[in-house]
Amino acid sequence: MIDETLVVEKGVSAGDAWITVEPANVHRSLSGLKDEGYQLLVFLSCVDHLADASKSWPARYELLYQLRNMDTKDQVRVRAFVDGDPPHIESVHDLFPPANWDERETYDMFGVVFDNHPDLTRILMPDDWVGHPLRRDYPVGGEVVEFSEEHETWQTAPEKA
Amino acid sequence: MSVTDTSTIGQGITVNRSGQTGAFGGELLTVNFGPHHPSTHGVLRLIVELDGEQVRSVKPVIGYLHTGIEKQAEALRWQQVVVVTDRHDYLSPPINNLAYALAVERLLGVDVPPRANALRVIMSELTRLSSHLIWLGTSGIELGAITMLMYCFRERDRIMDLNEEISGFRMHTSYIRPGGVFADATPRFLEMLDVFVRQMPGYIDEYEALLTDNPIFRSRTIGVGRLSAEDAKRLGASGPMLRGSGVAWDLRKAVPYSGYQNYEFEIATSDMCDCYGRYLVRIKEMREAVKILRQALDRLPDGPVNVDDRKVLPPPREELETSMEAVIHHFKLFTEGYSVPPGDVYVAVESGRGENGCYIASDGTHKPRRVKFRSASFVNLQALERMALNHLIADMIAIIGTADTVLGDCDR
Repeated sequence: MIDETLVVEKGVSAGDAWITVEPANVHRSLSGLKDEGYQLLVFLSCVDHLADASKSWPARYELLYQLRNMDTKDQVRVRAFVDGDPPHIESVHDLFPPANWDERETYDMFGVVFDNHPDLTRILMPDDWVGHPLRRDYPVGGEVVEFSEEHETWQTAPEKA
Repeated sequence: MSVTDTSTIGQGITVNRSGQTGAFGGELLTVNFGPHHPSTHGVLRLIVELDGEQVRSVKPVIGYLHTGIEKQAEALRWQQVVVVTDRHDYLSPPINNLAYALAVERLLGVDVPPRANALRVIMSELTRLSSHLIWLGTSGIELGAITMLMYCFRERDRIMDLNEEISGFRMHTSYIRPGGVFADATPRFLEMLDVFVRQMPGYIDEYEALLTDNPIFRSRTIGVGRLSAEDAKRLGASGPMLRGSGVAWDLRKAVPYSGYQNYEFEIATSDMCDCYGRYLVRIKEMREAVKILRQALDRLPDGPVNVDDRKVLPPPREELETSMEAVIHHFKLFTEGYSVPPGDVYVAVESGRGENGCYIASDGTHKPRRVKFRSASFVNLQALERMALNHLIADMIAIIGTADTVLGDCDR
């Protein structure tokens, strides 16, 4: 494994090995793991722990990096906890090219800002969308449905509505 | 022609306009391709920079089929999420169900009975066949072999009939569920499957007779859309995209699930690294799928198809009339649902498109905290620029086609 000083905590969850690192060390840790043979970033995502009583979480947003070694078939999940509005973390697109879109998606859905990302724009939601839908305080079904009656009212100028 | 590749895939390939000496003196034409283009397999939009007819950069714009499936999953109970998993990769619903069901089962710590595993394998392989058939038919149309669609849909309809017989639904089956499967296979299903499995190799021969040596098809695919093994690995490609580049990686062999280690089959690979190689891989995979179906059907074990755990699955109907406990379990399951112990898990299965994964985080309540679908199309699509660079715009059709992206899967 990587330099033990980088690892804050480690364990196994339902058979999946994981380690937690400081958010500032994510790039260094992933680079170390990549050199060890974890060449593939399977996915990168985020979990919002707002009002999650199952455990005391170090911060609201948990960034996840699932790595795989295709030779030994080992997998490891790297976690990093970040807070702030917006939360910041360093991009890893230079280590793992697929992270480019994954980071854009995570930015789009959770508002996590990836520093040094070449083009951090929305990817799934429209460019003019307000808010980050997968945050736990974003309501389901609160948006106006296009081409519905409410949408017409919403699109019409106030004096005509 | 000098093209500077800064190789940050997705947006990153910048064209060095100053040194450009293309057919049009370096003047690049930006063309909007899609989203409603018939060959984009959904609603994929590409912003393509062209030098004459040569592609200099491709920027995919996705999100037109975003349906917020991950957000919906957080608002549903654990057993209800199965229904939304059907709908992201709409060409392979049972495989999506399987990824989700396996993830929930890992967190719950339950193992499904052998017959359920065999039925899951049967449904997965039927789905792989039907997904490849759609791919073959539509790609055939795009490359000038219009008859392909007729042949492929003929067999795909048989698979739809099988789906209907076993689950009551033709497309979105919701057949594989946490704790087992929806219902046992009927004798009629097994008969229909037996006939289908006997006939299918002959049908695959027919497809090959139409395409494999077809000069038009060959000239449009051989050498087009090259993706070297290093690039495929670096870009995280999976499924036939990876195997078509000569990398023998298949999750059914590498990380076996649902008893795939008990079946004999080969990993289909091709060293051609181009569109034709990916075509060969898919044809081979269809043949292997038939082999797996044959073995599964011959060795189908007897026994229950669901776990015998009243906390996860409702009791049988008969018990409700005689057992108070069964009524309580039934009531609890259909009002509150079950709770999954806190923790998180990632499970990946091999779909027709590649690695179809499901990450689940539970906070111990009756609804998921987070469900993330790792879709093969989303990652494979990022390799599009690498494959299409410096090809003709007409070759883009072959390249998009053999990448076999499903935009519902990509946008979720």
